[in-house]
Amino acid sequence: MRRYIARRVLQGIITIWLVTLGVFSVLRLTGDPVSYMLPPDASKEDRARLIELYGFNDPLWKQYVRFNMDLWHGRFGPSIRWDSRDALEVFLARLPATLALTGAAMAFSIVLGVVLGALAAMRPESLFDRLATGAAILGQSMPVFWVGLLLILLFTVYLEWLPSAGGLDRLGLKGLILPSFTLGWLFVAAHMRIVRSSMLDVLDADYIKMVRAKGMPRRTVIWKHALKNASIPIFTLFAVNFAQLISGAVVTETIFAWPGVGRLLVDSIFVRDYPVAQTIVFFASSFIIIINIVVDVAYAWIDPRVRIAS
Amino acid sequence: MARSVPPTSELALPQGTPTDGTGLVAWGRTVFRGAPLLSLGFLTLAVACALCAPLLAPYDPIQTNRSQTLVPPGFGRHLLGTDHLGRDILSRMIYGARISVTVGFLAVFVSGTIGTCIAVISGVLRGWPETVLMRLTDAFLALPFLMVAVLIVSLLGPSLVNVVLVIGLLRWMTYARTIRSEVLRLTEMDFVRLARAAGARRRRIIVQHIFPNIVNTLLVLGTLEVGSAVITEASLSFLGLGVPRPLPSWGTMLAESQTHVFTAWWLPVFPGIAITLLVMASNLTGDWLRDRLDPTRRQL
Repeated sequence: MRRYIARRVLQGIITIWLVTLGVFSVLRLTGDPVSYMLPPDASKEDRARLIELYGFNDPLWKQYVRFNMDLWHGRFGPSIRWDSRDALEVFLARLPATLALTGAAMAFSIVLGVVLGALAAMRPESLFDRLATGAAILGQSMPVFWVGLLLILLFTVYLEWLPSAGGLDRLGLKGLILPSFTLGWLFVAAHMRIVRSSMLDVLDADYIKMVRAKGMPRRTVIWKHALKNASIPIFTLFAVNFAQLISGAVVTETIFAWPGVGRLLVDSIFVRDYPVAQTIVFFASSFIIIINIVVDVAYAWIDPRVRIAS
Repeated sequence: MARSVPPTSELALPQGTPTDGTGLVAWGRTVFRGAPLLSLGFLTLAVACALCAPLLAPYDPIQTNRSQTLVPPGFGRHLLGTDHLGRDILSRMIYGARISVTVGFLAVFVSGTIGTCIAVISGVLRGWPETVLMRLTDAFLALPFLMVAVLIVSLLGPSLVNVVLVIGLLRWMTYARTIRSEVLRLTEMDFVRLARAAGARRRRIIVQHIFPNIVNTLLVLGTLEVGSAVITEASLSFLGLGVPRPLPSWGTMLAESQTHVFTAWWLPVFPGIAITLLVMASNLTGDWLRDRLDPTRRQL
């Protein structure tokens, strides 16, 4: 077990290193970094100051070594837009809003997905199953930002129930409803499908037949005994979907003017604040890698076959 | 393709029947029997719109008209209404199909080619090239895809070619993984071993024996991936980093609709329907192809 964890962590570190190498190459090799960090009308002094500040005159290998040293010490460079505040600080200030949004979206999609999936599995091929299936197919084909626009159209424009823009600070929990529905909708379909099919498998298992044979009502069997086991695949899916969750957050935060990391990234890119953009991409990738390692290790811990097989 | 049929034991063990509820199409079938046919029909319609946009569109998609702004949809002059600059929505949507279809298919072509090359190289060579390539695949899978796409497009400058390249270069991992496991399975099979024993060169084995057997998988994956390429293009356009204006992309139309959502409901509704239908059509067609092309799943 210990060896398995050690190997998984080592692989993760190599992956993170590859990602940083990629970010470095993309930022340095796609052109002159100075020209895309400065507006076209920047003066010569501004250029010289920027080159001095980031050391763009050094040879590439030297810049790469410094880039890695900086990462190691947690120095991400001063932000260009935010009064030269440290990019890490800017990123961390926006993180809670994104965590609230993604957390609420995940919770919403898991609850709705599990309930719908279990209901659909109770009566396969029934009208409810068909309707839920249709909704799932539709849900997986709708772009996140369109779902957001439709929700704004319905709940803000016509019903005037919920606000469409702002963050938790300004609007409180009310402001969280539409963004988290928008982002969560993406995963309701996936969760529903996986719970439905694993529920059908579980209902076929001997221990369920046994409880049924003892005379326990079908409803109790499903909601008390089968549901727990049928929900496990959701956690595997969570690791797979995590990257998609982050992509969805970028778009969702843009529609709802949500003051999170995703919107910070888009804003930073439009004002050429690449130190901040680079920090965000680095941390987002690291989160994805860490989540995957945690889920893998958890699986190896639960199921010995996993760690023996690899 | 009949040249190298898997041994009969493979065929005798069906891994799933079309009604086992795993594929989208099996699901679709429980909802509506004609789903695959409709999907193919819609894909054809989208391609036709893309090819013959100038013939089909009633108006010039970028021609503004100050006297006809925000006309609601109706059976008058503008079937789907006009936007804040008086441009005809229907015409813009027909032209928008060009961008979605082009990016969808070209990006899939790019990513399919990269993914297949990586899969075949690592599956046939094994050893350290396989380790390196598979680590690389893991690294790409860990990327926050849309964030990286936004970053790179902003650096390279938004254009059709850059959007295609970025989507293609960031989405080959599914092909690499799925096809590599196919290749590994195939190289262990008797017909490949026999070919090797008969002295066939590596290149001949790849071209004659492996490739014909992965074409189906490639086709199915490619069709399924068209949908996500279309969504990615729309997302980039929505964020203002897609194909530059005034060319009408469905994503750009949705982005522009945001400011008028309180007065003109038709602006956000119609382009979104087009994207959703195209994505759904590619997903359903892909699953239908999977069921048709996989002998163990074919419904006789």
